[in-house]
Amino acid sequence: MLDKFSKGVAERILGTVLKYGGDFAELFVEDRYSTNISLKNGKVETAQTGRMFGVGIRGFLGDKAIYAYTNDLSEENMLTVARRVGEALGEVKLGDLSLDLRKKELNNRHIIIFNPKDVQKETKVGYMKRAYEAARNYSPVIAQVVVNYWDYDQNVLIANTEGVYVTDERVRTRLMINAVAMKDGQMESGFYGPGAAMGPEFLERMDLEQAGVRAARIAVRMVDAQPAPAGRMTVVISNEFGGVIFHEAVGHALEASSVARGMSVFAGKLGQQVGAECVSAVDDATIPNAWGSANVDDEGTPTQRNLLIEKGVLKGYMIDKLGSRRMNMPPTGSGRRQDYTYAPTSRMSNTFILPGDYHPEEVIASVDYGLYAKTMGGGSVNPATGEFNFAVNEGYLIENGKVTRPVKGATLIGKGYEIVQKIEMVGNDVARGQGMCGSYSGSIPADVGEPTIKVREILVGGRNQ
Amino acid sequence: MKNKQFDDFKDTVFALAKKNNVEVQISYSQNRNFQVRYQNGDMDQYTDAGKFRMNVLVLKDGKLGASYTETFDDPEKVFLDACENISIVDTEDVEYFYDGSGEYLELEPYDGVFENLPVRDRIGYVETAHKEARKDERILMDMAVYGDEMNEQRIANTLGLDVSFVDGGGFMYAMAVAKDSSPRSGTEFTLGKRPEDIDGAYVGKKAREESIALIGSQSVKSGKYRIILRNDVFSDMLGMLVSMISAENAQKNLSPLKGKLGEQIGSNIFTVKDLPYHPMSISNAPFDTQGVPTCEKAIIEKGVFKTFLHNLKTAKKDGVKPTGNAAGNGIAPINLYVEPGNKSFEELLSALGDGILIIEVDGMHAGANPISGNFSLGAKGFKVENGKIVRGVEEITVSGNFLEMMKNIEEIGSDLRAFVGFGGCIVPSIIVNEIDIAGTM
Repeated sequence: MLDKFSKGVAERILGTVLKYGGDFAELFVEDRYSTNISLKNGKVETAQTGRMFGVGIRGFLGDKAIYAYTNDLSEENMLTVARRVGEALGEVKLGDLSLDLRKKELNNRHIIIFNPKDVQKETKVGYMKRAYEAARNYSPVIAQVVVNYWDYDQNVLIANTEGVYVTDERVRTRLMINAVAMKDGQMESGFYGPGAAMGPEFLERMDLEQAGVRAARIAVRMVDAQPAPAGRMTVVISNEFGGVIFHEAVGHALEASSVARGMSVFAGKLGQQVGAECVSAVDDATIPNAWGSANVDDEGTPTQRNLLIEKGVLKGYMIDKLGSRRMNMPPTGSGRRQDYTYAPTSRMSNTFILPGDYHPEEVIASVDYGLYAKTMGGGSVNPATGEFNFAVNEGYLIENGKVTRPVKGATLIGKGYEIVQKIEMVGNDVARGQGMCGSYSGSIPADVGEPTIKVREILVGGRNQ
Repeated sequence: MKNKQFDDFKDTVFALAKKNNVEVQISYSQNRNFQVRYQNGDMDQYTDAGKFRMNVLVLKDGKLGASYTETFDDPEKVFLDACENISIVDTEDVEYFYDGSGEYLELEPYDGVFENLPVRDRIGYVETAHKEARKDERILMDMAVYGDEMNEQRIANTLGLDVSFVDGGGFMYAMAVAKDSSPRSGTEFTLGKRPEDIDGAYVGKKAREESIALIGSQSVKSGKYRIILRNDVFSDMLGMLVSMISAENAQKNLSPLKGKLGEQIGSNIFTVKDLPYHPMSISNAPFDTQGVPTCEKAIIEKGVFKTFLHNLKTAKKDGVKPTGNAAGNGIAPINLYVEPGNKSFEELLSALGDGILIIEVDGMHAGANPISGNFSLGAKGFKVENGKIVRGVEEITVSGNFLEMMKNIEEIGSDLRAFVGFGGCIVPSIIVNEIDIAGTM
């Protein structure tokens, strides 16, 4: 359906914006087909497929941006919307401009074997049921298992007045397993949600039983756990999804949306030592088939691997086109959005701390008393103040260098720029986990990651007082 | 509404349903929204937009298949997709459509007054908030947002249901950040149905005052404290209650309130209602997303648990009448309303005497577990001594169990405010007489 948007149509829409105002115009067309299936207690309860189809039209005048979207795709309506964008920008800078869009062919880095549209729904349900069975049978205290399946095939066309005219296809598949354990009136839940920029072959290749067990294990361990101790203590954060701490505590504050207007604690600190020397981190949207990857970002800029922190020194930010104008720095392929109903802004893709030298056991062995955060839950941050908080979904005490008993209900809070200075050891076991990141331009797939790390001191909130 | 196109689409799908001997329901939603954001006095984001979507549900032998589309092209494909989805549904649950019988409340639809304001007036709100926020040289940065929206819903099915409603309004948000050893942010939010409900200067001023007041914040000693949950914080935390009062969660053993109907679950001054309409809300509705009429009801009355919220399916299962609370795939109140008490916010502070006023909790989506009711949340606020705010409080976590907290509500304020989240939420501030706080002092 994107073929409806020939270069001619795109040129007329972009030209109309500039005719009425601004110095840059961009068109984003999205046609997305999604499938959602929900399996509760072994039975498919809901199955939904659907199609989103709309356009976003954006104009800049200097560093002022106007965005509009519509899914009334008659050319007449789209030209009216384009004119409104131009008028809202106010000043006519370029006027009637003859545009010559050039289609750019992308070298696709993310090979898809099966388009989700071509895979039978029974097959998808089969994957779900395998994960379900494994979780259900893990322990008699498992009372409830919900497995959700999600895939989509998103086709986008991005054109702008700098001559960009590019299409990209993003296919993603994810399984989300939620297990609830019940014992003596206590209920605790465990979650595991692997995903990839792949078709359902991702699940074909995955150890589905292991995935189910992983969610169930967390619930079962936690239902026997005592409340976590409260207070400042050393915390070892396990690899993979543990990287959510870097994502929230540091990553968001390195996005141009916070940095450009000086709203971030890391603004103006390029080249400065902002973290411990053992910390290096990247944001890399080029990793083949990773959950947060794409060939181009949602502004048509090719993606790249961005070095954020090297040996504790701040090396780079994540910058979208508007941020680029405001910061006078080149865009880094980081302009992302949930869908056409959001203007793109600077966002993370696959963000992770690079591996260090220690074996994870060495990291734990170095702690006399502390918390081992084996599985992190979600978190949030205020980029202006750096204040963050996280839930620990699966926690254990560390006593005399050994992981001892499970503890539940722990929350980690602190300030991002302080935490990154307090990282004392970085393991060699880097891995990534999948999440949905919510911010100004909506909810987007993003990988977080890290090796096992040790943080000298974090405030742990719990109930045991 | 694109009546003609919708009617054509509907007629085609209804005819297909008849031919295939199934029932079908189409929900049409159309949304218009405008939003402008300023950072430090410069326009940072400006969106002026609209979209529509049609959700199609096909019902066959008690099983539902769903499909949606954002184009009027190809109604047949949308219908067939939904039919195909039925083929994989194997739950024993039986689904229903509603036939449109019964009494619908006659609510006043939103008149789109904000949408008709000139753009410069709407931007004016943000500029005013920015100027107010900056009236102190210690303010390092500020952000102000104005938005308005208009949502139109129509639901029609082959059993004869055909209902529609429009609601909407405007809102503002401001944040100010004050300079200190680490930056201090203060925020304010307001919403309303009429332009006179929105006061840019007030929002900017409140954000500034809060950030300035937080200068010099410190943590506290860990321990048990009496606290005030300010209305905005209480509204956030009520998300846990919304999950617990869903009949669907109860039927699936995912609510700790299961089996507690008629029991005292909260303090005897705590009354919670679901209201189809409240003049402060911008998300009123005479029918739920299944087309069932909405109605006013007490959920908790003087601490006694009166009813779960139901959709058609859960009501049938429990042998009760649906309560008009279907919300997409889930169940939610239309407007959750906590009955106010007599004390103003200042009087609440006096009643607290010594304790902590909580003005922000973070991490509700991760740090609160509605299945168990346990929560552990990052928080900030003010230390209160002898009924007076003495200093800001940072780096603390508030931990507890929502069920215990409901029993420990000691006072309810008269300071009702409206928020959005799970539908509307209209709540006052409360005093909780004991809660665990972890701090670093």
